Amino acid sequence: MFPGVNGFHWSPVHIIFLSAFGLVLSVLLVTLAVAFFRTLRDVRSGRAGAIAWHCDFEDLPRQERLCRHAFEGAAPGRLCDRGFDCRDCETHPKFATIETRWPVTLPAGLEYPETRLYHRGHTWVEPQPDGTALIGLDDLGARVFGAPEVVELPAPGTKLSVNGAAWRMMRNGASVSVRSPLEGEVIAHGAPGGQWQLRVKPEAGERAFRHLLSGAEAHAWVNAETDRLMILLSSTPTGAALADGGALVADLHQALPDAPWDEVSAAMFLNC
Amino acid sequence: MADMAWVPTTMLDRKFVPRGVTRCTPARFSLWLTPWCLLLGLGLWAAYLCLRDGLLHTNMDNRFAFGLWIFLDLAIIAFGGGAFFSGVLLYFFKLKELNAVIRSAVLIGFLCYSGAVTVLAIDVGQPLRAWFTFWHPNAHSMLTEVTFCITLYLCVLAVEYLPVLLRNRQFRKIPSFLVFEWELHKLIPVLAGIGAFLSFFHQGSLGGLYGVLRGRPFAFRESFGIWPTTFFLFVLSAMAVGPSFLLIMTRVAEWVTRKRLVLESVYVRLARVSGWMLTFYVLLKSIDTMVWLNSTSRRGGFLPWEYYSWEPFGVWILFVEIGLFGFVPALWLMRAGKVNTSWLIAPALLACAGVALNRYVLTVQTLSLATLPFDEFLSYTPSWQEVAVFGGVVAYGVIVYSVLYRYTRLFPQEQER
Repeated sequence: MFPGVNGFHWSPVHIIFLSAFGLVLSVLLVTLAVAFFRTLRDVRSGRAGAIAWHCDFEDLPRQERLCRHAFEGAAPGRLCDRGFDCRDCETHPKFATIETRWPVTLPAGLEYPETRLYHRGHTWVEPQPDGTALIGLDDLGARVFGAPEVVELPAPGTKLSVNGAAWRMMRNGASVSVRSPLEGEVIAHGAPGGQWQLRVKPEAGERAFRHLLSGAEAHAWVNAETDRLMILLSSTPTGAALADGGALVADLHQALPDAPWDEVSAAMFLNC
Repeated sequence: MADMAWVPTTMLDRKFVPRGVTRCTPARFSLWLTPWCLLLGLGLWAAYLCLRDGLLHTNMDNRFAFGLWIFLDLAIIAFGGGAFFSGVLLYFFKLKELNAVIRSAVLIGFLCYSGAVTVLAIDVGQPLRAWFTFWHPNAHSMLTEVTFCITLYLCVLAVEYLPVLLRNRQFRKIPSFLVFEWELHKLIPVLAGIGAFLSFFHQGSLGGLYGVLRGRPFAFRESFGIWPTTFFLFVLSAMAVGPSFLLIMTRVAEWVTRKRLVLESVYVRLARVSGWMLTFYVLLKSIDTMVWLNSTSRRGGFLPWEYYSWEPFGVWILFVEIGLFGFVPALWLMRAGKVNTSWLIAPALLACAGVALNRYVLTVQTLSLATLPFDEFLSYTPSWQEVAVFGGVVAYGVIVYSVLYRYTRLFPQEQER
C-alpha cells in the first residue's frame, strides 16, 4: 500500500489507488479538524452560548417554540423561527400593531409587575437609571423551582448572550440552566435569596429589550405557561387535571416531591 | 422491594431520554431486548468458534467459497445504500422532506456496514492478520477496493452520526459538544459527498466482482470501460432499494413503538424516489439480461436454458426477480400519493426482496452451476454456525437501533405529533 512496504510498486495502478484513498481519508480528517478548530474559535470568541441555544431551540417541543404573538391571539399557532430573538425580526413589528383579540387576566396569586420585562425562559429584567439592568427569576419560575440548593452564578465580567446560559440552579437532583434574557456583561451578583440574581450592563438602546415581553402580552404568555405546567405535572397524558381556581403554592417542588422535576424544570426553563 | 429497585433505574433512564418524547418503561424495554440479546449471544458464540477453529464450522469449502455470509453482506450493503442516497438527495438535490429520516438513514447505513464488515471479517478468518488487507493490498483486486471503500465509508457514517449522539440530553449539557455538533453539521455535505463517492465505487465493485468472473459464464457480463455491467446495476439497485428499506424500517419502528414518527409526505417522497430508480434499474437489468442470454453467454459456449435446467433454479427465478420483485413494485411505488400510504410497505418489501434475490442468485446460483464438463451441480445448505452469525448480525442491528432510538432523537418529527 505504501512506498517502502513489500508489494508496493511505482505503477499507475498503485499510485491511483493510494492517491484516491489517501485523498478521501485526508478530506475526512480535515473535515474533523476544521470542525474542531472552528469549535475552539467559537468558544474563545464567546459565541458558544448562542450556538448552543440555536441547537437547543431546534429540539424544543413545538408548544415551546410558539411565537410571542400566538399567546394573545395576533398570530394563533405561529411558530417562532428566530430562536425567540425578536430584535431583528421583520414580522415582529407587523404583529405588534395588531390589536389583541383575547382578553387576558393573570392567573391568581402570580405577580408580574408592569415595571419589569419578561423573558420566555422565566426571568425578568428591570432596567435601572444608571444604564444597568437587574435580572431575576419570574414568579412562576420561582414557584416551580422553589428554593435551590445550589446556585452557580457567572463571575463579574462574564459576557452573556441572549438565550445563552446565565446561571445554573440545582435542587434534589434536578439541574437547570437559566437562560439569559439580555446580552451584556455581568457587573454584580445579588444577595443570596434576594429578588435579583445578576446586575448586567446591557447594550445601549431600546433594541436590547425588544425581544422581552411586558404588560398584557406577558400576562397572556404566563397564562399559557401555567396551562403548560399543569399538563407537565399531570400524571396521565389526558392533559391538565388540576382543579380550576386557587393560587399556585410558593414552592411547588416541596408541595409535589414525587413529580418528575428534572423533566418539568427543563421544560419550563427551556432546557433540552 | 422490586419497586424500590426500579426507581434508580427509571430515574437514570429518564435522564437520557430526549425531552418532549415518551418512551416505554425500562422494564418493558429490557423485555424487548432480551430475545435479541440471546440471539446476539448465540451469534457471538458461533463467530468465536469460526474464528478459533476456522471455516470447518461452516458448510463452505474450496469449491463453494461464497455462502450465506456473502449473500448477507451484499444484501445489507445494498439496503444500507439508503444512507448515502438519502444524503445526496437531501444535501445536493434539496429534498427537505428527507430531513425527517436522515438520522435514521445514517444509523441504518452504519449498522448495515458495520454488520457487513463484521461478517466479512469472520468469513475471511485469521483475525490476527486482518491488517494485512490494508498494509499489503492487491491494488488490482476489486475486493481490495471494496474493503477500503467499506472501511472508509464506515468511518464517514460514524462521523455523520456523531452530531446526533452529541445532541443526547446528557452530552448537550457540555456546551462545547453542541458547538462541535453545530460546526460538524455545517460540514455534513462534504461527508455526504465523500459517502456518495465511496458508495458508488464499493457498491459497484461488489457487482463488478461477479461480472469479471470469466470462468463463470452465469455471472460474466459485457464491460463498459474497465467495469462490467454488474458494476452499474449494483449501484443503481442500491440507490433504488435504499429508500424502500428506509421506508420499511420507519414503518416497522412506528408499529413497534405505536407512534407516528414521520409525516405521510415523507413516505410518499421515499416511495416515489425508490419507484423511479427501481424502474430505471429494472429496465437496464432487462436489457442486460437479454444481451447476456443472447450474446455474451452464447459466445462463452452456453445456451440460456442450460442455466435454468437445474432445480431449484428454474427460469421462474429470473421472472420473479425482474417481474414480480422488479416491475410490479416499481410501478406501485411510483403511484405513491395516489394509493393508500399504509400499503406502500408492500411494494417496498417486494423491491428489497428483488435485490436480495439478485444477490442470492449471483452468489449461490453462480457457484452451484457446473461450468466444466466434469463439474457437477453443487448444493449448499448453511451450517447452524453460519445461520447463528447471520442472526447475530440482525440482532446487533435491532439492539443498537432500539437503544439509539430510545436515547437520541432519531425522528425530529416525532415530537410534533
